[in-house]
Amino acid sequence: MLYYLIVCRSLTYAQRTAAALERAGITARTLRSPKSISGEGCSHCVRVSPRALDEALEILHRAGLEPKRIFSAQSDGTYEEVGLI
Amino acid sequence: MIYLDSAATTLQKPGSVARAMCRAVTTMASPGRGGYSAADSAARTAFECREEAARLFGLENPEHVIFTCNATHALNIAIKSLVKAGDTVLVSGYEHNAVTRPLSALGVTIKVADGTLFDPEDMIERFERMLTPNVDAVICTHVSNVFGYILPIDEIARLCRQRSVPLIVDASQSAGRLSVDISRWNAAFVAMPGHKGLYGPQGTGLLLCSAPACPIMEGGTGSESMLQQMPAFLPDRLEAGTHNIPGVSGLLEGLRFVKRVGVKNIGRHETDLIRHMAKELSHIPGVHVFYAPQNQSGALSFTVDGLDCEDVGQRLAAMNIAVRCGLHCAPLAHRTAGTLQTGTVRASVSAFSTEKEIGRFVNAVKKVVSNQ
Repeated sequence: MLYYLIVCRSLTYAQRTAAALERAGITARTLRSPKSISGEGCSHCVRVSPRALDEALEILHRAGLEPKRIFSAQSDGTYEEVGLI
Repeated sequence: MIYLDSAATTLQKPGSVARAMCRAVTTMASPGRGGYSAADSAARTAFECREEAARLFGLENPEHVIFTCNATHALNIAIKSLVKAGDTVLVSGYEHNAVTRPLSALGVTIKVADGTLFDPEDMIERFERMLTPNVDAVICTHVSNVFGYILPIDEIARLCRQRSVPLIVDASQSAGRLSVDISRWNAAFVAMPGHKGLYGPQGTGLLLCSAPACPIMEGGTGSESMLQQMPAFLPDRLEAGTHNIPGVSGLLEGLRFVKRVGVKNIGRHETDLIRHMAKELSHIPGVHVFYAPQNQSGALSFTVDGLDCEDVGQRLAAMNIAVRCGLHCAPLAHRTAGTLQTGTVRASVSAFSTEKEIGRFVNAVKKVVSNQ
């Protein structure tokens, strides 16, 4: 897997998510969700590296910023949903 | 020009406002609508503006800061979210048409707490008495746009809390000059322009939301595009269509200016100027000044015996002094204060007004009166 995409309900929510992660020292980039994972149409997500995901989720949980869905980007260009526990 | 119409819009802005707007026009696209840097830059600016506003006005969540065209737009969303035809709404006697016209259009019963001008105790007593169980919502301005009268909003908010009645605050004349805190008031909505005390450009406003809100306009949001209903979440729910990013960029710089100078310092500066202005004007025979040192913000109304207020304004304009005359889109306030027939001349200041300008303005009023 190349990276994770944390799908958010809105651009502003994605920006809040990315800002919380950046404040904690985790590189996080806001971008438009790939069409194949965007659910009801256009959406935004935050990209994080595989090694940062666990810590990122913990930080977001503490900040009350629950992700909508999480996908892992595969080397063949597809995305696989990761179950949220 | 001596500009004393800041209660309408602050003409003098920090230089950074125009620079930011210019930068936005040439480098920023539509936030959230693309993955390229010009869209990212617009998105970042919008988010920073929401964050700055949230910090300044006591909101924890920047998603609850909504960009609007002006305070009227913000008030319309707030009113139409909370109030429906047949409801009963209690308002102060100092509301602007931006409040009373939407209420009239909705067909609600309007109760008016028409407390005596500059008498906060009377206003509290009236709200206490009129806030009966049949009242569905309260709408109150923080500061009268006509008289600069600071209403006892903390106490009115407390009454609304005690009686579980939702409150909408019109902070058009107070944002950037007085403490505006949606959390402290527990208000459902607070509406404000971006182009007055926040020093942004015209065409900008903010709505702070603590209650569920309904859109008054539907359209593209860059989110949930497959659905034919507006998204349920803020800010997208209330922001259909392309954003005014040059405006938001300017507003962000205005907010930063307010933060840098300090709300208290700006408020104190304006109050000092108004005190000086009131004192000097009240010495001119035939000039009647509406002033109360304890609860007046940066606007002051006056009348001149034997002269129509619009004539006073025209004569001052001929001396390159800008004031606002007439009813100031607030006939209710004039009715409450007893000036509906005459109107008033209103002089209002900003962080950029100076004592020297006030002196020249007072001298000009003296000339107007003596040349009558």
